[in-house]
Amino acid sequence: MKDSRPVFLDLLKIRLPIAALVSILHRVSGAALFVASFYLLFLLAMSLGGSTEFEQLQLTLATPLHAVVLWLTLCLFSYHFLAGLRHVLMDLHMGESLRASRIGAISVMVSTLVACVLSGVWIWL
Amino acid sequence: MRVSIFRFVPGMDAKPRMQDYEFELPRDRDLMVLDVLEQLKAHDSSISYRRSCREGVCGSDGMNMNGKNGLACKTPVSEVAKRDRLELRPLPGLPVIRDLVVDMSQFYRQYERVEPYLNNDSPPPAQERLQSQEERAKLDGLYECILCACCTTSCPSFWWNPDKFLGPAALLQSYRFLADSRDTATEERLAKLDDPYSVFRCRGVMNCVNSCPKDLNPTRAINQIRTLLVKSGT
Repeated sequence: MKDSRPVFLDLLKIRLPIAALVSILHRVSGAALFVASFYLLFLLAMSLGGSTEFEQLQLTLATPLHAVVLWLTLCLFSYHFLAGLRHVLMDLHMGESLRASRIGAISVMVSTLVACVLSGVWIWL
Repeated sequence: MRVSIFRFVPGMDAKPRMQDYEFELPRDRDLMVLDVLEQLKAHDSSISYRRSCREGVCGSDGMNMNGKNGLACKTPVSEVAKRDRLELRPLPGLPVIRDLVVDMSQFYRQYERVEPYLNNDSPPPAQERLQSQEERAKLDGLYECILCACCTTSCPSFWWNPDKFLGPAALLQSYRFLADSRDTATEERLAKLDDPYSVFRCRGVMNCVNSCPKDLNPTRAINQIRTLLVKSGT
């Protein structure tokens, strides 16, 4: 019999700690990285095609659109890596208290921002 | 203060609605959320909620107050009310029977699955099974759970997999017996937890710790179980 009783699960009305946001974004960044890996594989295949293709790739990557896509991929990777590292540390029983978990989650966000800025500097400067 | 209460009366309401009540807070003292509900119910007896001890021991009045789960009887209005507004909803993720009363069957099924009792096949001694003070101390922070379901119903992993992921409350109790020196069924207990869902769906969101009215830490217990599972090599 189908349960016709209502269930309250309005995510806009439920307060979640910052660790929840880090966890959700970890999944989103993982899915996005999966899509981005096709782009990276395409670039890799192109770079291995020969010296002409390699030079062509360098010119392609210098275009603003490709630079932005590459930068976004680096940002996604930085976030996914750092949030994953946080999970590993928690598995090692570090940051298990509520306060430590909050500090860990904020650290992931802040370090990702720093990594994004650094990759931007590396790409454009 | 405006109090908005989640209302659903089966047979009368096709879907849930929020009903607003005006409430005059006393100026000289703070009230608990349960006090507010009791006074509102005196005027509108159709409001339904569970309550019993009114002092944070029975775990009956778990509900979602302005977005956060907790016990209405030990949550001061001043702590949760925002901009003179208090929104009360039932515990998330469980079917609503009426208003703030939810069907906790799924929660209890998961609790039952972890066999929350001592398993010891050796003959019982004449008086009692003794523990050293150190062995007993391992149960601190685990045995105090009152099964109010505030943690489990605030856990996103439980919302998505309520039948497969045991949830923080059941896992806290699972570890309570894994850590008990008098329990001899550790291997069997671990074998029953060894699948991708029962324990490993925990993603460290920590909303369980955030909402536990007894200040317990189910995330820590879950991580301890994971370590035991890895060590047991299952």
